[in-house]
Amino acid sequence: MKRSKIKIKVNGEWHELTVPNQKTLLEVIRGDLHLTGTKRMCDAGECGSCTVIMDGRAVNSCIVLAVEANGKKITTIEGLSQIGKLHLIQEEFVAKGAIQCGFCTPGMIMTAKALLDQNPAPTEHEVKTAIAGNLCRCTGYIRIVNAILSAAERLRGIQP
Amino acid sequence: MENFEYFEPQTVKEAVVLLGQYKRGAKLLAGGTDLMVGMKEGFVKPRYLINLKTIKELDKIVYSKKEGLSVGSLTTWTDILSSRAILQYYPILREAASLIGCYQIRNRGTIGGNICHASPSADSAPALMVYGAQCVISGSRRERVIPIEEIFCGVQKTSLKPEEILTGFRIPTPDPKSKGCYLKFSPRKAMDLPIVGVAALIWTANGTFEGVRIALGAVAPTPIRARRAEKFLVGKPINDESIRKAAEEAVNESKPITDWRASREYRLGLVRELTCQAITQSLQKDIP
Repeated sequence: MKRSKIKIKVNGEWHELTVPNQKTLLEVIRGDLHLTGTKRMCDAGECGSCTVIMDGRAVNSCIVLAVEANGKKITTIEGLSQIGKLHLIQEEFVAKGAIQCGFCTPGMIMTAKALLDQNPAPTEHEVKTAIAGNLCRCTGYIRIVNAILSAAERLRGIQP
Repeated sequence: MENFEYFEPQTVKEAVVLLGQYKRGAKLLAGGTDLMVGMKEGFVKPRYLINLKTIKELDKIVYSKKEGLSVGSLTTWTDILSSRAILQYYPILREAASLIGCYQIRNRGTIGGNICHASPSADSAPALMVYGAQCVISGSRRERVIPIEEIFCGVQKTSLKPEEILTGFRIPTPDPKSKGCYLKFSPRKAMDLPIVGVAALIWTANGTFEGVRIALGAVAPTPIRARRAEKFLVGKPINDESIRKAAEEAVNESKPITDWRASREYRLGLVRELTCQAITQSLQKDIP
């Protein structure tokens, strides 16, 4: 078994691991770091459930090799809340009822976070475009889009 | 996924040496949005994986009016979408980029990977074709440059030799009067391949078509230029009749297959309709 040594910064903390070369970033996040908020669903880069932010960009961690992530900064859903307080995007998902079974939610929120970091004032169309690769099979997308738009507004410091 | 040996070359030369050493057992990794899926499903089983993302200089976008655009193979769709030069001078390429995969896929997927995967439905291919893009290829010998049409050999087959690497594209500055668009027909607006894709680039003078380029995706084993349609339209008056006849030529040069996405007949119907629409919409655009 060919392995590689990697060092990744996850939610602000550096981790050094030796991983089989074929191991995905998702498998490391869930299996080695026990951060199970990031979900595994299609496992083929189709559904967005495993979305994390790597060096500022939303990526499907199921189709990123752990070795490729060497030296990179990764944020997972666990990295959003601060000292027990939910991130504004999380608060808005709760407030707007944008969650049903919750399985797509971590990926959806990470995509929203990456979008709002780059574009603090997205249009509804831009929000829909950003989450087009995140599948939700329960709620439909209206409440999710509303939650992201409302989080954007709050993050810009404008109270809704 | 099966185990493999993993390499991070720092230069193109190093990558070429590795390829020469491991030949058929080796695979190049760019964005991985296709390759990783193939490896997981067991279609592709590389024993040696060579990650090109560690090579600097392969993800640069450089533009000058005289030299045109130079895009490195490892440039992601997200980078293409944020390039001012591409927005200004190559809007069809931007349009194609915006229709690829989804946000996460565009953050990882690369233009070189899209072309080297050599899918007949690759969204970037028709756009690159109408702009007359050239592929820059490095190997054990001298760098060579070939027109994009010549890199496609068949479904998922390229003309690259085993030790060669596509390092980027050179795209001349389009005619200043030219305008165009890329139309993609797919059931979903995101995360889908085109059933048919059509790119058109046209320029006109005195009520006639002066220059015409049309390229089609997913209608043959490789993306194709609709050369007969182009030739027909040059010099013709700008009206519905000439556009309809040109579209008929495009239909005649398409050889689509029937698969689970669509039948051959349906695809031919789409070529007719989308070619008309692409030319008509191009005419209505402002010169970029």
